[in-house]
Amino acid sequence: MNIALFFQQIANGLAIGSVYAIFALGYTLIFSILGIINFAHGAVFTLGAYFTYTFMGLAFGFNGLLAQQKLPFGLPFPIALVLGGLAAGAIGVLIERAFFRPLRMRGGDSLLTLVSSLGIAVAIVNIIQYLVGAEAYAYPMSALGGLPPSVNFGTPESPLIVRTVQIVIFAVSMIILAGLTYLINATRTGKALRAVAEDATTASLLGINTDRLIMFTFFLSGFVGGIAGTLVGLSVTVTGPYFGIAFGLKGLAVIVLGGLGSIPGAVIGGLVIGLAEALVPSQSSALKEAVAFAILFVILLVRPQGIMGRVQVQKV
Amino acid sequence: MIEFLTNFLSTYGFLIVSMTFSAMLALSLYLPLMTGQLSLASPGFYALGGYIAAWMSTELYPPLATGTTFPIPSLFVEMLIAAVACAILALLVGVPALRLRGIYLALATIAFVEVLRVLSLNLDVTGKAIGIFNIPQPFVTKIEYLYISLPMLIVCIIFMYRLERSRVGRAFRALREDELAATAMGINPTYYKVLAFMMGAILAGMVGAVSAHFLNTWNARQGTFDLSILVLAYVIIGGSRTFWGSIVGGMLLTALPEVLRAVAGIQGLPPFLTGFLTEGRLIIYGFLIALGTLFFPQGLITPEFLRRFARPPKASTPTKSKPLQTPST
Repeated sequence: MNIALFFQQIANGLAIGSVYAIFALGYTLIFSILGIINFAHGAVFTLGAYFTYTFMGLAFGFNGLLAQQKLPFGLPFPIALVLGGLAAGAIGVLIERAFFRPLRMRGGDSLLTLVSSLGIAVAIVNIIQYLVGAEAYAYPMSALGGLPPSVNFGTPESPLIVRTVQIVIFAVSMIILAGLTYLINATRTGKALRAVAEDATTASLLGINTDRLIMFTFFLSGFVGGIAGTLVGLSVTVTGPYFGIAFGLKGLAVIVLGGLGSIPGAVIGGLVIGLAEALVPSQSSALKEAVAFAILFVILLVRPQGIMGRVQVQKV
Repeated sequence: MIEFLTNFLSTYGFLIVSMTFSAMLALSLYLPLMTGQLSLASPGFYALGGYIAAWMSTELYPPLATGTTFPIPSLFVEMLIAAVACAILALLVGVPALRLRGIYLALATIAFVEVLRVLSLNLDVTGKAIGIFNIPQPFVTKIEYLYISLPMLIVCIIFMYRLERSRVGRAFRALREDELAATAMGINPTYYKVLAFMMGAILAGMVGAVSAHFLNTWNARQGTFDLSILVLAYVIIGGSRTFWGSIVGGMLLTALPEVLRAVAGIQGLPPFLTGFLTEGRLIIYGFLIALGTLFFPQGLITPEFLRRFARPPKASTPTKSKPLQTPST
């Protein structure tokens, strides 16, 4: 592998890794508060990509209930991206209100919540298919405005070309990460979130409105999931209603690698898996899909608490 | 009457046999769950068993003369080899993996299934993305597979019924209720957990071997995460505290899409409803799973429910067991 190709792969790895990181943060936020894994997160990721597509005023394909429909207006990509994220966040809140909260109120254990979230994921994927069909959707080339399709960081003699999309993805992910870090570490809401994560009962006794915070967490989780969906859709295409399911599974590998419930862990895990996938030699690129899961399996056997996780002692 | 029955069997033969397979797959997930271990590995072993049968029947055995069916004893040999291979793989994976608990074990087994799936997509022996097709048929019609699957299911039911009342079954239950207490009573947790895991793997592998013939083709779409979800839903919706729950859940949820299709066929429904019932069956399915966990948290079949049909309890009847709990590691 020559050096330019190597750096291109690193750039790819960082771009996809940073999306893994923000996507996995969606799992981590909910896990740290409720101790559950929300399998519907992958479906919310898909929804985010479709919402952005809708807000850009683009027409749907020939299948489904909304065939050939489009909004009467089209928004520029950056605004559609944010709106898509907000809409995905709203869906996250809806899922929490309609399914997870009633389960919690009845004292259902975490396994039931897991099954419930799987059911929701199946429903969402098929609602998408019912509404807009199973075909792939691509954002138009003009989504990034007047930016050139790639940037050469090398010299004309030894080019080092990085796709603009990768730079945009990395930049947006970093902005989201910085925003979330600020929110969690430096605001009152963040302090309350951390308190609820530490001990929900004590936090509510101290006057923190846990119910509202849980809703807020689901909103944040859906928001970052939706943004991640749009970013991945921008880089490849939105490959259909099942777009987010494989990605959702990889997100699980990311959070376990980093340590369940750890926010820096999710970031490190995302970057490690993104880079590891990018560095798979192109001859065996078909095995790329297995890299994340192989890492996950080995990590679970060697260090189940992950890179940044805390060891939990089982009490009698 | 006879005519109706033959019509019914030829229309729904595929479905009826699929229902027995689902019930057994649900049991293969229920077995490790008896010891409190949430393992989603069944589809991996199911896929492996299927590949073994598909490879043996298409590559190893001599090709069939036209007009003859695949010999049943050869099918049994395939099932046996699938069972042995799955048992060995389960032992290799199970000993390290079963140190994990709760959600960690579930994730490790998801990873296991995914790695197997990607491998089968890339190996020559599994036919890469195309898979193995034209698997010879031991029967002429699909419903005749009941000759294999129904006895298998009945053997499983008898086995499970005896298991729940045996020393091993009680050890499983003790581990599920409280692993530390069980260990203190002299139950070796690793031994019994791996045993349950292997039993589930063997069952899944044998079902896979028959399924490969039944479906005629076998590829990487057979053992996926989707199937893990589905089988988990069978067990949880059916009821995870008795093996009857897995069987009922597997059969009901497999039949459900067909039932919805039949409902959509009723004359006089408004067109939008018919359209939704045919196109949106999986939407309803997903919501039913989500609502099922809400309204039947114990599942449809609970031990209390079964006790109504049982003979008057003897003095030594075990007391009601705790609902399913996963340790929150």
